[in-house]
Amino acid sequence: MHPLLARPARLLLVLALAALSGVPLAWMLRLLETRPWPAALAFAVPLQIFTTFIVLSAWWVCRRHPLSGVQGAGLWKAVFAQLAAALQTSVVRVALGAFWGVALQRWVYSAGLSRDALIQDLLVLLVTGVPFYLLSAVAHYLYLAFEASHEAERRMLETQVGAREAELRALRAQLNPHFLFNSLNSINALVGSDPEGARRMCEGLGDFLRRTLALGARDEVTLGEELALVDRYLGIEQVRFGDRLRIERAVEPAAAACHVPPLLLQPLVENAIKHGIQDCVAGGVIRIEAKRAGEALRVSVENPVDPDAPLRRGEGVGLENVRRRLEVFGARESQLTASRQGDVFRVLLTLPAVDGEAGGARA
Amino acid sequence: MPERLRVLVVDDEAPARSLLREYLGAHADVEVAGECANGFEAVKSIAEQKPDLVFLDVQMPKLDGFEVLELVAGEPGAPAVIFCTAYDEYALRAFEVHAVDYLLKPFGRERLAEALGRARDRLALATARSQDATPAARATALAASARGQGHFAERIVVRDGAQVHVIPSEQVDYVEAQDDYVAVHAAGHSHLKHQTLSELSEALDPERFVRVHRSYLVNVDRIARVELIAKDQRVIILRDGKQLPVSRSGHERLREQWS
Repeated sequence: MHPLLARPARLLLVLALAALSGVPLAWMLRLLETRPWPAALAFAVPLQIFTTFIVLSAWWVCRRHPLSGVQGAGLWKAVFAQLAAALQTSVVRVALGAFWGVALQRWVYSAGLSRDALIQDLLVLLVTGVPFYLLSAVAHYLYLAFEASHEAERRMLETQVGAREAELRALRAQLNPHFLFNSLNSINALVGSDPEGARRMCEGLGDFLRRTLALGARDEVTLGEELALVDRYLGIEQVRFGDRLRIERAVEPAAAACHVPPLLLQPLVENAIKHGIQDCVAGGVIRIEAKRAGEALRVSVENPVDPDAPLRRGEGVGLENVRRRLEVFGARESQLTASRQGDVFRVLLTLPAVDGEAGGARA
Repeated sequence: MPERLRVLVVDDEAPARSLLREYLGAHADVEVAGECANGFEAVKSIAEQKPDLVFLDVQMPKLDGFEVLELVAGEPGAPAVIFCTAYDEYALRAFEVHAVDYLLKPFGRERLAEALGRARDRLALATARSQDATPAARATALAASARGQGHFAERIVVRDGAQVHVIPSEQVDYVEAQDDYVAVHAAGHSHLKHQTLSELSEALDPERFVRVHRSYLVNVDRIARVELIAKDQRVIILRDGKQLPVSRSGHERLREQWS
């Protein structure tokens, strides 16, 4: 729909301007062939209003043939389309004019014009119709350009807000309060039975939190740094789960040096514990693999699943978070795939391999 | 009220169990009868040891805390339950199923002592009344609260002595009412559960399970056809050939489902 139609106030304004433009037209017609002002206005004003409706059709032509980013043939095509539309509009305007002129003469108000004078009027309409249409086309192009820049601005803001949101969500997910509560409970238990262990766990927890905040504040980290953070995390969870939590790791040095968005890996490992290890009576192995294959970095996290586990709500939230962050970080070739084969759940991250500073330090 | 409180500790995390054991050690009248690391063990231990009180974690392997409670509630001598979890979102549910208390990890000795006090009061009251009067009402609350709004039970847990069967709801053919029990027919077996048919039918997805008769709830996927055997009298033939009676209103419900 034409944007004016949705806004009655603006439509009225445009129609008022159209009516006003009837005055110069009437003046021009009077110059060519004298007639009384009322007769000239009665012909020109309604005609301008009708024509305005017709030239608003430039909206669809302009949208069909946008100018932004168009060059060469496309540009010529647009010009040609607009000229053709202008001519068509003019022809319709002339037809309307003929009809209206004759109708006025015959039934309403005869200005006593000759047949030749009437034809002369129609020629004026034909000639003025083309610039009238083109003016409308220019106005519409300007409007479209304005819209586009608005849209671009809005989209940019949206992306920025989205990125911030994702960052916050990542931090919040990382600092999952239940993880903290459970860890505090473990420390509480260790204080009685193994005070040295309680101290180590406090230290580990502090270290993990500090690293999380530090990595979260950066735009990019190396996979090695992410893995070091995951090590801290697993160290803490190991106290809770004991032998039930076993880790296998196969990380190529070339992969560890690659750049990744921060706090991407830990939510996956957390998921592996929450929906894997925690549901298995005897626990199981979390396997973390990272490989560099040409231009791609592949990181996978595997965990066992118990088919008889109670259903837990909120499944997939962690994965969805990671997926959204991949999107926000804008690496178009990035993707996350989750699959289950038998009793093993596997999440595979594929990212473009970008080298960070060599040996992203597995501290 | 028992002289000594016999207590079972159920938590899948060893440190959490040892903490409770340590705290409970300070109470001379409390005896820790055992520890369990998952839901199955818990149901078995409760049946065998008949503890007075159970400290129950919510998120565990095999059966979650609510499922454990569902399986042991309503039995004579069912224990009082105190939930222990790091999650506060189950608190409401816990009290709906008449948990004595809800301990949020991490908790201290004083908080545990308070919970123990409540458990003693509850048990004294129960002894005075001889037995919790409304096991069925409890089970209803359990069934309803074992899932949130808009969630239907994905599985039915049934206890047979110390053994627990977990039946995914899509494997159920039909359920038959038998006095205070329901017989859940699935994969050629029949499992008795202490629950009424109405309670169970509320817990299950109404898209899948239709109450076709006062005494029958049927999985619509299992229906082969409905046959008219006399005027206004119909039977359902299941895929395996089994015939079930249909009441008039049951038939209407089925037609609504299929329309």
